[in-house]
Amino acid sequence: MAPHVLSNAIVLLLLVAAGFALRFVRGNRMWRDALAQLWRRRRGSLLVIVAFLLVGLLDSVAWTGGQGQDALAAHEARTVIDRLFQGDREASYSAPLADAAFYGGDPLAAPGGHWLGTDILGRDVLHRTLKGARVALMIGGLTSLIAIPLALLFGISAGYFGRRIDDAIFFLISTLASIPSLLLLIALIMALGKGTWQVCLALGITSWVGLCRVTRGETLKLRELDYVQAARALGVSHGRILVRHILPNLMHLVIITFVLMFSQLVLSEAILAYLGIGVDGSWGEMIDQARNELSREPIIWWNIAAAGSAMFTLLLAVNYVGDSLRDILDPRTLRETP
Amino acid sequence: MLAFVVRRLLFGVAVVLGVLGILFVLFFQVASPDDIARRALGEKARPDSIEQWKANHGYDRPLWPWQDFEDNLLFHHYSTMLSFDFGASDVDGAPISQRIREGAGPSLALTVPAFAFGLGLAVLLGLFVAFFRETYIDTTGVFLCVLGMSVSILLYIIAGQYLVGKMLRWFPISGFDADPAVLLRFLALPVLISVLSGVGSDVRFYRTVFVEETGRDYVRTARSKGAGEVRVMIRHVLRNSLIPILTRVVLAIPFLFTGSLLLESFFGIPGLGSLTIDAISQNDFATLRVMVFVLSMLFIIGQIATDISYALVDPRVRLE
Amino acid sequence: MRQVWVAAALVGSLCVLAVGCNNNPYPEHDAELKVLYSAFSTPHRSLDPAEAYNVSAHRVTGLVYDTLLEYHFLKRPYTLIPGLAKQVPTAEPLEDGRVRYRFTLRPGVNFAPDPCFELGGAGRVTREATMEDVAYQLMRLADPALNVQVRDQFSNIQGFKQFHRALIERRGADPAFAALPAREQYAALGGVEGVRIEHPHALEITLHSPYPQILYWFAMEFTTPVAWEAVEYYDGEAGRERYADHPVGTGPFGIDVYDKRSRIVLDRNPHWYGLADPRAPGAHYPEEGAPGDAEAGLLDAAYVGRPLPFLDRVEFRLEKEGIPLFNKFLQGYYDSGGIIKESFDQVVQSERLSPEMAAREIRLQKAVSPGIFNLGFNMEDETLGVPAGDRGRKLRQAMSLAVDSEKWIELFLNGRGLPAQTPIPPVISGAPEGYLNPYRQVDLDRARALLVEAGYPDGIDPATGAPLKLTFDAYEVSSQSRPERQYFVDEWRKLGINVELSSTTYNEFQEKVDRGAYQIYFWGWSADYPDPENFLFLLSCAMRKSTTGGPNSANFCHPGFESLFNQMEVMEDGPERRAIIREMVAILEQERPWIEIFNGVGYSLAHGWLANVKPFGMSYPMTKYLDIDPVKRARVRLSWNEPVVWPVFAIAGMFVVGIIPGFRTFFRERQ
Repeated sequence: MAPHVLSNAIVLLLLVAAGFALRFVRGNRMWRDALAQLWRRRRGSLLVIVAFLLVGLLDSVAWTGGQGQDALAAHEARTVIDRLFQGDREASYSAPLADAAFYGGDPLAAPGGHWLGTDILGRDVLHRTLKGARVALMIGGLTSLIAIPLALLFGISAGYFGRRIDDAIFFLISTLASIPSLLLLIALIMALGKGTWQVCLALGITSWVGLCRVTRGETLKLRELDYVQAARALGVSHGRILVRHILPNLMHLVIITFVLMFSQLVLSEAILAYLGIGVDGSWGEMIDQARNELSREPIIWWNIAAAGSAMFTLLLAVNYVGDSLRDILDPRTLRETP
Repeated sequence: MLAFVVRRLLFGVAVVLGVLGILFVLFFQVASPDDIARRALGEKARPDSIEQWKANHGYDRPLWPWQDFEDNLLFHHYSTMLSFDFGASDVDGAPISQRIREGAGPSLALTVPAFAFGLGLAVLLGLFVAFFRETYIDTTGVFLCVLGMSVSILLYIIAGQYLVGKMLRWFPISGFDADPAVLLRFLALPVLISVLSGVGSDVRFYRTVFVEETGRDYVRTARSKGAGEVRVMIRHVLRNSLIPILTRVVLAIPFLFTGSLLLESFFGIPGLGSLTIDAISQNDFATLRVMVFVLSMLFIIGQIATDISYALVDPRVRLE
Repeated sequence: MRQVWVAAALVGSLCVLAVGCNNNPYPEHDAELKVLYSAFSTPHRSLDPAEAYNVSAHRVTGLVYDTLLEYHFLKRPYTLIPGLAKQVPTAEPLEDGRVRYRFTLRPGVNFAPDPCFELGGAGRVTREATMEDVAYQLMRLADPALNVQVRDQFSNIQGFKQFHRALIERRGADPAFAALPAREQYAALGGVEGVRIEHPHALEITLHSPYPQILYWFAMEFTTPVAWEAVEYYDGEAGRERYADHPVGTGPFGIDVYDKRSRIVLDRNPHWYGLADPRAPGAHYPEEGAPGDAEAGLLDAAYVGRPLPFLDRVEFRLEKEGIPLFNKFLQGYYDSGGIIKESFDQVVQSERLSPEMAAREIRLQKAVSPGIFNLGFNMEDETLGVPAGDRGRKLRQAMSLAVDSEKWIELFLNGRGLPAQTPIPPVISGAPEGYLNPYRQVDLDRARALLVEAGYPDGIDPATGAPLKLTFDAYEVSSQSRPERQYFVDEWRKLGINVELSSTTYNEFQEKVDRGAYQIYFWGWSADYPDPENFLFLLSCAMRKSTTGGPNSANFCHPGFESLFNQMEVMEDGPERRAIIREMVAILEQERPWIEIFNGVGYSLAHGWLANVKPFGMSYPMTKYLDIDPVKRARVRLSWNEPVVWPVFAIAGMFVVGIIPGFRTFFRERQ
């Protein structure tokens, strides 16, 4: 199957999942209230996140065909975002909204058409920045797809079953947590190889430990609660207790941790990009590529400014939303964890 | 109490062994000695020099005990690491222990002042913002903190070198020299950047701690007795917040030794951070292995120390 | 009251900070000395003259180790002059096709003082260098325990290969032998047959077949006299350094501080032979140069004939990043430097130095460097290489026609390069003159026509019905240089060929090389010595990566090319040899194992206080000819580096102004 078909299918799946999630939230008072409160407090940040999500989704829906900028483009699957920015490739740098090339002043293919200018190869910077949104969301999304199930599986079984299982899992997470995370990350990527999947896998392996600790601690407490004890006394199976009573009471922790983790992941990727083992097309890569352009005379600022501020805007919004979510959903458990 | 200490220590030893196990799998199983040899010798290396090199570095043994119980890399790895016999760099054959000793100084010269200034500034600003809680200063302060946390360290370094080093010419753009006449000059800019980039999350944390503390009964009592707000903040709030502050400090101390990977690399400070970055960029697995091990050890020791001191202070901890 | 004190302390410390600011990276007490400040970008792996093989390491070893022959500082084309040798030897052909060279060593050549010489007798700190030391180093080149990257180039010496093999065999068979010091092992095997010491100052080298280029190797540190005491003493045991980190030589400078991850300091060697014998060709400033040198001030009467070296000390500092390095050069803290591409337009305007730079008395020099950068195809690949026969050849020709190197040079080098036509850079004498490679002139129409002939009309691979898919391996490419590779991919897109830029780690790439699974790569080569052979050997069968692990990553092996190469290799420069080179180039033109991209043009900058700068190009430092005016330098540096302090006060002011309303609100609400 061609990669773009898979990507389209995933988008569809995500949309369906989002629909279900929305229905669930509307039916559940606690979540509905929380969301309403969040909307009241952090409307701007939420809108920013939604906008980035939208861009990410639009950049994941692709199909082949149609006229492209060159012979090859017609055979390639291009996304909605790609199709918005086609046919105006320049020779090299041009400033935002400029009519002429930055050096030499030759007329452009699309005068005034590049809102954020073009880079050294004449690619539209806005286009690259928007494509970076998908990469950032992919890093966050894929990583949590790996980290959250791992953390839940291990955290719940350690907390719920206790004893040997707890000892083993506690040992494992203590060991992983003892290795400085950036070094472990780098070592993993050097071992696994380069690429989006590898980076996400490595990030997943290094970041599940924190969440696992939290879920383990919380499960320990939940296990002792009266209604869980009652259910056990009534002979309800472990699986049922876990799914019915434990898991739902952990969801808010998972969501908060995930949101707070997201910005860490994107920032880590930027460091990896500097080390040359990041993800292709990420904002980190753009920043690293553009950092020397600051020394050009006259200065080329739009590349680094675009990538830097896109990353900054998304992270700022995510951090704000994460903070508020923490205050709303859980004023206690996560307070002490820095 | 003794039982607790013994148990904690034993667990620490087990974790060290676990870390070594992970390192072994990553650096011997996944990245094979052949790769390491080729990398060390350069692209033009011939097969016979690769074999020779592997023999010189002891990488020609079989990996696992079931292949050769007497002489295998797994046992060799554990025994050399645990006896702190770190061997030589894969790239240039220099002894790694000596490298680490040489690198610790420059790293600490950067991280200790950065940490001290950062801590002082963060506590001061945290108090300051908590003092003005629920005013525009608080809102602006928190906004600035979140803002600071959302910027990549790469951007801090790039902007710092550009503005302070090039435009304002306050300090050298980069470099390092142990000569005391110039050492401070070299450290000023990386310390400044390190403090600025880390202060956001710290201030936010301390602010939360302080604000929580100001809501407690004893603070209200003190206030009702007519103590001034400044006095309350410093005498009561700060003093009672010492435990969370200390926890954060103790957990941060092992990282002082790691240096700061990116800062050292950008500023050319020959510390442990740039040693690690160099090891990464040159695929010097021996050095990388040792660095990960040493840093993990420091971290584990720090944690044990924290746990035991808590247990000394608070007997309830022992029961857990 | 307390707040006032805090504020006062804050302002006070800011003032102290503002006044104490200083961006001079060197201690003030060095300001009046003739110290040359220079930079290196990565720690040197080895400074052992048998192992060091890159420009950066040679800039250090070249100062510490003298060579038997040297290059003339000014003359171009490159000319060899005697260094430690009394004269440049000539080849003496022997009856059976062998060739002999006789070197005579100057008397009174001493090693720099070092504690290692105690090994040769208590209380000794130095000794005279003899031909034994050169022979010792030649044997070290054959030693498999050392990572000698140029071993093949010496294999023309009679008995060299046999000596290498004998060492491997004896060491494998006899552990007692392997435990002996290397020097005793060499002696036990009787040395290399073709290296004979007639007397301590005369050395005879016999080659089993002619190899005129051998003389150039005697102008490189690989053949310097090496003291066995230093090799044995600095063994890395018991707190002693390794020889690779502690060079001991006869050169004009000796290492004083070697902190490889931060700085390297070299001081004058008080025992240098040139101090006692300033009339030796390598010990004084030359009287004659190339045309134009007099106008460029390189034959200044103040220097001509004066004994070398002029500098007191040479310091290298580690600078990993180009931008800080360049900015420090602009601040006057490095004496010379290259131009980073980002700052090019600030420095050079319409091929001349910008007025701003000229006003600072900075000088610009350009020189075509003897090196080449090229794209290569793996000739063993099923689609691109020899197995694809004529289809593969046409495909390579088409791809070669699509790559516009002029624009690449413009974008990524600010035009500092020449579009390459052949593997041989035009500065090398013997390179085809006035030759334009028809496949290196962009012609998309012809490329498309060739694609049709190759069976890929519009880039469509008939086997799949989709655009032809190829992989371009960019291993270990930083995100910084990724666009440089992306450019080529975009060029091939125009033909409808889908080349995927695959960024891999070094290990992944090596694995691909082992499996022969790479298709296209980008690579560069810089001359060891100025001879076409040093470039054409990169395409010879004996250097194939797949079979020998050699530098011929294209795995090109063409019978016609090979036999011409074997003829050319042993010939002296002349019309006959040039004709053969022409023929070889014609084969490459059709076969296209490479797409030649560019020969670099080095633009180097030097400050006004640095005298006698002439770009050299090859990996051989000319530092001993440089001179510095330290008084002028100290004065200028101060005037360029006045710190700007007002922002400190501005920020402090803004902070104070920002919190005043807070105090007011606060006191209104709470008290």
